[in-house]
Amino acid sequence: MSEMLISTNVVTAGSALSVPRRRKRSLAHSKWPVLILFLPPALLLFTVLVILPMGEAGWYSFYNWNGYGSPTQWIGLRNYQLIFRNGAFTQALINNGLIVVVSVCVQIPLALWLASMVASRIKGALFFRLIFFLPYVLADVAAGMIWRFVYDGDFGLVAGISHFLGVEAPFWLADRDMAMYAILGVVVWKYFGFHMMLFIAGLQSIDKSVLEAADIDGATGFQKFRLVTLPLLGSTVRLSVFFGVVGSLQLFDMIMPLTGGGPSNSTQTMVTFLYNFGVTRMQIGFGSAVGVVLFVLCVTLAFSYKRVFMRHD
Amino acid sequence: MAPVELRQVRKAYGALEVIHGVSLSIEDGQFIALVGPSGCGKSTLLRMIAGLEEISAGDVIIGDGVVNDLTPRERNIAMVFQSYALYPHMTVAENMGFNLRLAGTPKPAIAERVNEAARMLDLTALLDRKPAQLSGGQRQRVAMGRAIVRNPAVFLFDEPLSNLDAKLRVQMRSEIKTLHQKVGTTSIYVTHDQIEAMTLADRIVVLNQGRVEQEGTPMDLYRKPANLFVAAFIGSPAMNLLDGTVDGDGGEAAARLADRTAIRIAPDRKVTRGQAIKIGLRPEHLSPGQGGTTLSGQTLLVEPTGAQTHIVFDLAGHPVTAIVDGEYPARYGARFDANIPADQVHVFDRESGIAL
Amino acid sequence: MTEISASAPIDAASAPTSGQRVRTGTQIYMYVSLLLVAAIVVVPLLSTALGGFKTLGELRGNPFGLPSEWQWANYTDIILSKRYWLQMSNSLIIALLTVFLTLAFGAMAAFCFAHIRFFGSSYLLNYFLIGLMFPAATAILPLYIRIRDLGLIDTYWGVVLPQVAFGLGMSIMLFRNYFRNLPQELFDAAFVDGCGYMRFFWHITLPLSRPIIATVGIISFVSSWNNYIVPLIMLNSDSLYPWPLGIMIYRGEFSTEWQLVLAFITLTILPTIIAFFLAQKHIIAGLTAGAVKS
Repeated sequence: MSEMLISTNVVTAGSALSVPRRRKRSLAHSKWPVLILFLPPALLLFTVLVILPMGEAGWYSFYNWNGYGSPTQWIGLRNYQLIFRNGAFTQALINNGLIVVVSVCVQIPLALWLASMVASRIKGALFFRLIFFLPYVLADVAAGMIWRFVYDGDFGLVAGISHFLGVEAPFWLADRDMAMYAILGVVVWKYFGFHMMLFIAGLQSIDKSVLEAADIDGATGFQKFRLVTLPLLGSTVRLSVFFGVVGSLQLFDMIMPLTGGGPSNSTQTMVTFLYNFGVTRMQIGFGSAVGVVLFVLCVTLAFSYKRVFMRHD
Repeated sequence: MAPVELRQVRKAYGALEVIHGVSLSIEDGQFIALVGPSGCGKSTLLRMIAGLEEISAGDVIIGDGVVNDLTPRERNIAMVFQSYALYPHMTVAENMGFNLRLAGTPKPAIAERVNEAARMLDLTALLDRKPAQLSGGQRQRVAMGRAIVRNPAVFLFDEPLSNLDAKLRVQMRSEIKTLHQKVGTTSIYVTHDQIEAMTLADRIVVLNQGRVEQEGTPMDLYRKPANLFVAAFIGSPAMNLLDGTVDGDGGEAAARLADRTAIRIAPDRKVTRGQAIKIGLRPEHLSPGQGGTTLSGQTLLVEPTGAQTHIVFDLAGHPVTAIVDGEYPARYGARFDANIPADQVHVFDRESGIAL
Repeated sequence: MTEISASAPIDAASAPTSGQRVRTGTQIYMYVSLLLVAAIVVVPLLSTALGGFKTLGELRGNPFGLPSEWQWANYTDIILSKRYWLQMSNSLIIALLTVFLTLAFGAMAAFCFAHIRFFGSSYLLNYFLIGLMFPAATAILPLYIRIRDLGLIDTYWGVVLPQVAFGLGMSIMLFRNYFRNLPQELFDAAFVDGCGYMRFFWHITLPLSRPIIATVGIISFVSSWNNYIVPLIMLNSDSLYPWPLGIMIYRGEFSTEWQLVLAFITLTILPTIIAFFLAQKHIIAGLTAGAVKS
């Protein structure tokens, strides 16, 4: 801390005379040093590494470019045509949709069900909350790798169970019809705890007296849940769905150790598609176009989410 | 210590002017209260004196210098806030000494000044506590201690007692008064509570919609309210105000109410026959029984408060409050007679609201 | 939304089944369900850890049970290897740098948005909030070109700076909301006491912002510690790899020896698990509340 040269008490009212009148100095001017010091680091970093790259993605997406020299081969919308004609991309879109469906139809009911149990006054509730949340803090890569072992038909748990049941062990991750379902299982395993926490918070914010009023009105346990608790959790459900969709659009780290997008592109997502077809082949233009499509999806989603939420909450 | 003067001070937010040219002169060592209803601009005015709001036009003078463009620190003022605004992460001693620390005062000197102020305010035992561990009254005292420690030219109080319960408010009120008598620093005190203003201040400034309605000693304002606004604002329970018309003139002037009841008014009031006026009757001046002008009506409400009883009775179709002794046998529905001497009857022009 | 944590009071007020004793039958049903789900969560983790103590042959015949003979060497070889510690320290350095810059730049910018009125401030704030809407993967290729042109490929900064840039939206948003909820009169009091904006930031705002610093810090630490795609794109040298990349490389090298891979996974996620159980309250509150608020 820099020491001030003038002690406050020296600046008595009398000395105010010696200060020449400078209009609007006191409040207006002292803010500029702060703005000049505090804003630029964030502004610079954000502009150079978030906004500019996103804009450049739009620009590069019109070129055929391998990343060396500067982009010269203008090909218009060709990259976009290639994307939408690519079967793997279609599969990625379907898979992303599938993840959303599972998140809404499986993960959220599961999370809500568990939340309603561990939010109640039972012994060990804290322990169960911790255990259920644990997969969420693990890295996606680690989770993917662990489940690669679980699903392994030679050494893994699935193999063990099959031996126990006396059937031949399946290789789900190598089966193009099964691999995506196997991955969906891991997605639920990894993320249900997070959604459960959202619901616990939602349940705790419900006014206890409302539920007591329902008791007085003669509602049974299930009626109380369906007619009182669930409607009051509306905003939590919407939030949960939103995170499910966002998570789906970003899913990459977990797929890489499990299948890498294979077999025969059956487990691609938007981001693995971008990686496999843009990054690994240094197709900067094509990969950027995929990025733009992903960006448009994300932004559309964010805005429609905002509108839906602004209306209700 | 220093005198404070405001010269035609204005505050505007864009086109909206909220302070319309306020001029005030506060003598060195005086305790002045700014009162008015919420939104009257009293806090804005105080913040302009403090340097927390810019001054759109006019001058604020502290001591002998215009301080318009000085920071709060340079103005050498101290301020006690409504919420106390104690720094939650600092101890009482650190809170009180923060200003001196910022000013680079050596540590022993800070400690000495803080201890002195703590002794004065009976805070010595609490110096190592955090604000969260203090009661409301203690926080209030720390806020005052913080103001004293810096030995400022002016104390500014922004509704400092409004967060306290009624009992504590009375106690802190007297502590503030004692403190001012001890240190004698020029003080400007903003409140919406006229009793606080009356009990504390040497002089009261009544503000309404960004304008000064009246300024004067508490008794001046009580005895001679300059207009209807001040009349209604000062005094509790509030003055009864009734529509009337002047009948007769000179020494015989009286106010006729809607039901033809006549109320004698003092001969020195400058009224003319037929003038539309408002009559102001303070509840405490309406004593039961005959004599002077007698006003009668049916008792509508009886509110005993112990020593006194508030009686609301019907006068020309208006409820009028009177304060009588607690022993008075008031009864709902009974006829109530009150009398008032002519010189206690306040008369205002109905159009302009100005006292006549 | 209220604070979210595993240890949030499990009292009558919070419980939907408040005031009523849970019947024994219901209780049995609840515990059976909870234990079943807990098993599904824990068994893969436990078998991974135990698998690391087995031989490949035993893994084939007995993936679930305890090892018949504990192969400590699987673990000790990794612990004594340089690569494990190198990857852990790479991850730690990258995460600490990321956290520090995300906190510093985010809090500074948020302070301007919360306390200073200046021309275009709301537009500028919205500009930063664009960063909340899309993940780094979206712009990963141009980002790579830019980092390459800046000469930062294959350096810590090549990973740290993009992570910070993409974390700023969240950081600014959370800090600004928190700062704005601090009582305005504190600012006035500090101003009267002689603080300018800088001292106010340093002496008042920051000391009062520990909870939100913890939240932002935890979010950016965890996301950096677990990040895979940014280092994957920006780093070439094994010597700089953080652990998520390290796992993939290790698995590539020892693809035929699952027991070693399992031991390696176990050791790499061990710090996360230990930290989680030590600071579970803060981590859960930070990750969920932070997500909700932004």
